[in-house]
Amino acid sequence: MVSLDSAPTTAASDGEPPRPTPAPRRRRPARGDERAAYLFLAPWFLGLVVITIGPMVASLYFSFTDYSLLSEPEWVGLDNYRRMLEDERLRSSLGVTFFYVFVSVPLQLALALLLAIVLDRGVRGLALYRSVYYLPSLLGGSVAIAILWRQVFGAEGLVNSLLGLFGITGEGWVSHPDYALGTLVVLNVWTFGAPMVIFLAGLRQIPTMYYEAAAVDGAGPIRRFFRITVPLLSPIVFFNLVLQIINAFQSFTQAFVVSGGTGGPSDSTLFYTLYLYDQGFGSFDMGYASAMAWLLLVIIAGFTAIHFIASKYWVFYDD
Amino acid sequence: MREDRRAQRPTRRRRTTLAALAGCCAVALVATGCGGGADDGEVTLRFSWWGADERHAETQEVIERFEAENPGITVEGEYADWSSYWDRLATNVAANDAPDIIQHEERYLREYGDRGALADLHEFEDVLDLSTIDELALGGGEVDGELYGVATGVNAYGIIADPEIFDQAGVEMPDDTTWTWDDYAEIAAEISENTPDGVYGAQNYGFNEAGFNIFARQRGEALYTADGGLGFSQETLADWWELSLELQESGAEPDAARSVETESGGVDRSLIATNAGAMYHSWSNHLGILTNTSGRELQMLRYPRADEEGPTGLYLKPAMYYSVSARSEHPREAAMFVDFLLNDPQAAEIILADRGLPANLELREQIRGDLEQGDAVGAEFIDEISAEIDDALPVPPIGAGEVVDLIKRVNEDVLFGRLSPDEAAERFMADVESATG
Repeated sequence: MVSLDSAPTTAASDGEPPRPTPAPRRRRPARGDERAAYLFLAPWFLGLVVITIGPMVASLYFSFTDYSLLSEPEWVGLDNYRRMLEDERLRSSLGVTFFYVFVSVPLQLALALLLAIVLDRGVRGLALYRSVYYLPSLLGGSVAIAILWRQVFGAEGLVNSLLGLFGITGEGWVSHPDYALGTLVVLNVWTFGAPMVIFLAGLRQIPTMYYEAAAVDGAGPIRRFFRITVPLLSPIVFFNLVLQIINAFQSFTQAFVVSGGTGGPSDSTLFYTLYLYDQGFGSFDMGYASAMAWLLLVIIAGFTAIHFIASKYWVFYDD
Repeated sequence: MREDRRAQRPTRRRRTTLAALAGCCAVALVATGCGGGADDGEVTLRFSWWGADERHAETQEVIERFEAENPGITVEGEYADWSSYWDRLATNVAANDAPDIIQHEERYLREYGDRGALADLHEFEDVLDLSTIDELALGGGEVDGELYGVATGVNAYGIIADPEIFDQAGVEMPDDTTWTWDDYAEIAAEISENTPDGVYGAQNYGFNEAGFNIFARQRGEALYTADGGLGFSQETLADWWELSLELQESGAEPDAARSVETESGGVDRSLIATNAGAMYHSWSNHLGILTNTSGRELQMLRYPRADEEGPTGLYLKPAMYYSVSARSEHPREAAMFVDFLLNDPQAAEIILADRGLPANLELREQIRGDLEQGDAVGAEFIDEISAEIDDALPVPPIGAGEVVDLIKRVNEDVLFGRLSPDEAAERFMADVESATG
């Protein structure tokens, strides 16, 4: 776009004798070009400031205040952060969230990798399978699916009807504190399609000659998987892991809908985000909710940093 | 000027400036798009409410009637379902963009009123006639002499019963003026036993603090005191949960998971709505919808008592309130609209008992004949108990809106055996105190 706009300037300079040093010009475009570039960037930049940075700064400020939404915020210093140390529900919501993240993400990625490998073998109608498996990823975070989940795992739901065929009387899975979180884990695992498609693309990148050479040398399929597929796919695994963990930390819709917004039964599905929302809009404690949001940001940033540091030891870049 | 512009091709600089201008205009347009509102004698009011589709349609009709009678005033409706309504209202008020007329609920009234978000309606009594309003209901909207809201209508909490299931079980309908909690437990268990699997005597009552309030009042206590503190003893609450557990254990009620699931389905999916339960604790304004969904001629019963002699504990609750925002630019016109909603026969004929049995006593009589079966039963129940009630409940303290979720959570712990009734009572009292304190 910038080059299009610069056309008149170049035309104008045509009249003058050619200059010996065009290189610096290319490095630093004319001021007019720069201005045009910023102009075209403006809508995006405006969005970033108004929709992302502005609210973030505001929430950082609110996190140091007592702010009920209805009256003006009052500065309280570190009170909100101190309160978090003693908040039992906050602790239990962190427990629920960690369980959810560290159980559902590995399961989801394992399933995604398994199916990607199966599909990579060259199944007939690959495009169809790929689409079918990808579909849940598109729908998984939606309210509609969460409502469906309630029905499927309800006392009179599909799961219990199937169990009934074998003479087993099932529980009301979504309404029992021991199982409700499990149904949400299953829901997340079910949306394995997105990482699967990425794995599939990664598998396609591995040159077949490695496998052929290994086969000639007598390596069996399992050995080939661990010695060739795993190292060469490790950057993709890393990418999926980071992305899915960040996603899982931020899950909200599923728990909100399945538990009817309460995080119940008995707080068993009270995700961190759900508790945060409840504090902000249920208890009108926007100051505390803002502080919680910053804690979540720190937690996610911390885990992502750990991943990047650890990645030096297990991610293998083939170049 | 125009000649000039046509003659001269815009220079680069000017083009950039023009583009920048266009950009600014676009931003300005977006920013001001929500504002507007002409100042030429025309008044535009915003009215927000929660509810189901039926209420949206009927309220829109009332608005049209009002506009026809009051040229120069336009009312814009904004509506949502219950839970998103409160999120949106809080955000709107925080952004200084509150609707002029707000449909309110008692558990949130103080939250907004005490923080200066609601106008004192006593100031507009020249256009808002309160003389016709049921005094038991009117008192409920008043805090420290300021009237933050006028009751739309009244509701009573009680036990909705399905006589057909009683019949199937061969159990006689109780005399609700004399029955005791022991009778209740016995009857519920008997019904469960005499009916096919999946049909129960009662649905668990422990999710709603409205019922506990009656239970406490029967012992001379109450959920809240007038100054917003807790008005009951731990023992009373523990007894209430003890009884609830007994009902679950005797099979009078479904198991814990099923109770939780049924509860989260709301009124429409309650046991009585699906013909799977004989007794359900709820508000009288639910009789209409329950009668329709169940297809049965439901009845409404008074709460059982500890013994025949004690107080009934019953009370009338304002179903909801009409409030006016303290920051409204046209509070007088807003009060006029509230007057229309409350006191105009046309409005009453459209709304009927959807916002509770009308608080305007004359209109309550007038619409009586137009009520559908379920609402008529509710109206009759309220008439009967009105004579026995002599006090209005105080407005609940700030934070009472949270108690709705608190009691659900603790009750779940009780039903699943994670807390004993005693521990649960202690937990609930501590939680409510920190929420309302």
